[in-house]
Amino acid sequence: MGRSAGGGGVPLNPALEGKTYPPLRFLVDAERVRRFAAAIGADEGGVPPTFATAPEIEAGLARVVADPELGLDFARVVHGEQAYEWRRPLRVGETLEVRSTIESVRTKGGHGFLTIRTEMLDGDGVTVVVARSTLVERARD
Amino acid sequence: MGASPPRPPRLEDVVPGLAIPELAMVVTRERVAAYAEASGDRNPLHLDDAFARSVGFPGVIAHGMLTMGHLATCLTRFAGDPGALRRLRVQFRAPVLVGETIVAGGTVREVDPAERRIVLDVWVRLERDGRVEHPIRRGEAELRLP
Repeated sequence: MGRSAGGGGVPLNPALEGKTYPPLRFLVDAERVRRFAAAIGADEGGVPPTFATAPEIEAGLARVVADPELGLDFARVVHGEQAYEWRRPLRVGETLEVRSTIESVRTKGGHGFLTIRTEMLDGDGVTVVVARSTLVERARD
Repeated sequence: MGASPPRPPRLEDVVPGLAIPELAMVVTRERVAAYAEASGDRNPLHLDDAFARSVGFPGVIAHGMLTMGHLATCLTRFAGDPGALRRLRVQFRAPVLVGETIVAGGTVREVDPAERRIVLDVWVRLERDGRVEHPIRRGEAELRLP
């Protein structure tokens, strides 16, 4: 099932530690926030804090996991750990600049561990959210 | 849904060891599909039973981030403010299958009155075949109270 880029049981490429991807913009759209809040069962109004996952994935992680230099077999990936730090709540209508960096690439017991740090900045260049995601590429049977 | 959120806690009433109100949610297939669209995580592991079985699960599983989102809602409800959450860190320890009910909760570990900041140990549990599993255990959260 794995794409050829990551197939063959090749370990993750540790040389990609420290790689930073060009920033992408992400609009905190009212309708998207509404649908996200409904999906997680949040009914308090405002932007749910974990809405940060949407820009993190679309403007950050999506490019990292598809990077052919990394050699990740996405069919074997599970989410291991996640952390967020919010400096202030997200606001509907604002555009974030999203920057992802590969913080670490490790292999242990046949499993690959990939930690990606994603920073989201507002229009003034001030950091709003810092996300850290650890993905686990499970060992082949 | 429908029930009015509880009144925000007074910092003076929050002490180490305090358990915050638990919050339950049924993880339906429709909810997982809605989360895939809203979050942008369209991994077939969450949408396609045949694919999920091919990688060793009994069927599609919920996104870890959906479970984390529910935990965040439990915390912001307790605080009475979606902006109160300052930090949340979790490890995903067990899959959540569609149809299961997850229960989020937490216990206050530290109170910092000067900063109006509290730190909590947080978790999400479920029951499967009469056993308790923890999709999230030993998580940590920080809230800033008004």
